[in-house]
Amino acid sequence: MKRNKARPAGLFFSSSVYSEEAVRLAAFVFSSREEVKTSKEAGGVRAVLPAGTPELEGAFANEVLNQQCRLDLAKKNSKVANIIVTRALLSAMGERG
Amino acid sequence: MASRPARKKSKKSQAGAPYVAWERLAPDSLVVTNDPGNHVFVPAKELPALLAGGKKTASEELLAKGFVRDRLDFDGLCESWRTRNAYLAAGPGLHILVLTLRCNHGCSYCQSGAGGADAKGTDMPASTARQCVDFAFQSPNPSITIEFQGGEPLLNWDALKEAVSYARRRAAASGRKLRLALVSNFALMTEEKAAFLLENEVSICTSLDGPAALHNANRAYSGGDSHGLTVKWLRYFQAKHDSQKGGVPVFKPGALLTVTKRSLPRYKEIIDEYARLGLEEIFLRPLAPLGYARTKWDEIGYDAAQFTAFYRKSLDYILSLNRKGVPLREKMAVMLLEKIVNARDPGFLDSRCPCGAAIGQLAYNFDGDIYTCDEGRMAAWAGDPIFRVGNVRTSKYRDIVTSDAAKACAAASNLETQPYCHRCAYRPFCGVCPVYNYEVQGSLAGNMPSNDRCALFKGIFGTLFSYLKTPGKGKELAKWVENEKK
Repeated sequence: MKRNKARPAGLFFSSSVYSEEAVRLAAFVFSSREEVKTSKEAGGVRAVLPAGTPELEGAFANEVLNQQCRLDLAKKNSKVANIIVTRALLSAMGERG
Repeated sequence: MASRPARKKSKKSQAGAPYVAWERLAPDSLVVTNDPGNHVFVPAKELPALLAGGKKTASEELLAKGFVRDRLDFDGLCESWRTRNAYLAAGPGLHILVLTLRCNHGCSYCQSGAGGADAKGTDMPASTARQCVDFAFQSPNPSITIEFQGGEPLLNWDALKEAVSYARRRAAASGRKLRLALVSNFALMTEEKAAFLLENEVSICTSLDGPAALHNANRAYSGGDSHGLTVKWLRYFQAKHDSQKGGVPVFKPGALLTVTKRSLPRYKEIIDEYARLGLEEIFLRPLAPLGYARTKWDEIGYDAAQFTAFYRKSLDYILSLNRKGVPLREKMAVMLLEKIVNARDPGFLDSRCPCGAAIGQLAYNFDGDIYTCDEGRMAAWAGDPIFRVGNVRTSKYRDIVTSDAAKACAAASNLETQPYCHRCAYRPFCGVCPVYNYEVQGSLAGNMPSNDRCALFKGIFGTLFSYLKTPGKGKELAKWVENEKK
């Protein structure tokens, strides 16, 4: 993630590390705090927080990282995760998982 | 921290530890855990050898607990995992009925969204209470617990009485195991009401925040001395318990402590008060910034580090009382030790994977609205009904437990897809709260490295494991769950 000096409030998330989905998910999580505008650019995604203080931008960058890690882990563990959740939901319905 | 050895099927990949995670308890000491929920204490310098495997590290303990990759007892480890996660096959066992939002107390931390004693239109009609009971009995769980809460549930005595009688009749007709529980501040308790509750085997729990000055400061009661009333009725129910001679069993009354900022420096006085009243359990329950408590967090709240310090000092003090013959246990520790020491599910809905929202519990508001959990109901009280899953009058049970909110909570609280949790040594014993995450961090899944609830649980687990490692304290703590093991 790089800060754009020309546009101080902008954060650039390189596609070599971050997916567009992770940035958009983080923007959604932040929607109650600040409306984050995202746009695709060559090599990644730019996110602009209109009133972006360094603290807020840092928190947003952390959230993007969190979402990316979640997506990566979900790909890796989706089988076991789905088994656990399906079992719990079926049991709650009264059916054997 | 965690390791996952390469999956390549070479001879080399068969050596070493299976998937394990570890946490540093002290600079030179680690606790290492595995998926089935076993743990070993390892000096930090021996970790590389453990991860590499080989005969040198293959002690009897490591072999027995499943820490040596090529010597795994899969059947035994699976059975251990299954026992500790038995709730996955159970369905909602806890059903919370909020009989009224009215309350005669004005507690400084009230998390339940209570209104004044004279508030209108916030009582559950008796007919709705019966529908809630019917709904609870649709759960496949062989053991149903119905907990009556508020507000102050005694302010809606008619609905409480009707729900208790009706639930007992339903249990008798269906052969289901039923536990009824009342959480009351006792201000409106009478001998007549107490007799009815005891005849119907209702377990009684109240709030006790410590000695009179602290309790009354936290729990303002316009009718007088809240602490005095609490103690009076606690003693009444204790006497009934102690003098029972067969017939309907009388449970020992319990008390709940809500820890506020004011409580932190006064842990000794609080614990002494519980011991003085002959209570054998104290639940050091952290406050959550939900509902009304969130609006007063600066005044009453604290951070994880402050709570952990309080928790550690409190445990030390309780253990020192145990050594003097005072039989007192800390309930959070008891429930977590049930998992850690006995590898069993204690039914602690706050600390499991997935969390208990809708699949382990349901909360029924006074108007018949159903929520994934009581915390979800509080979120609705604060203006966001995202955790509402239906209404007893119009919804079908299957639609409730497979609602979008139920599925989203189950998925979001699944630690297998929580990045930070997935690598945490405490994962086999822990759980996240989607309502807390949503309210505090803006998403059901949350962001654990900056999540204060996570830090708080890590503090509690760190305390418990470091005490279990200490020879004297470890034995003393393990004794707390010896009876549960039997």
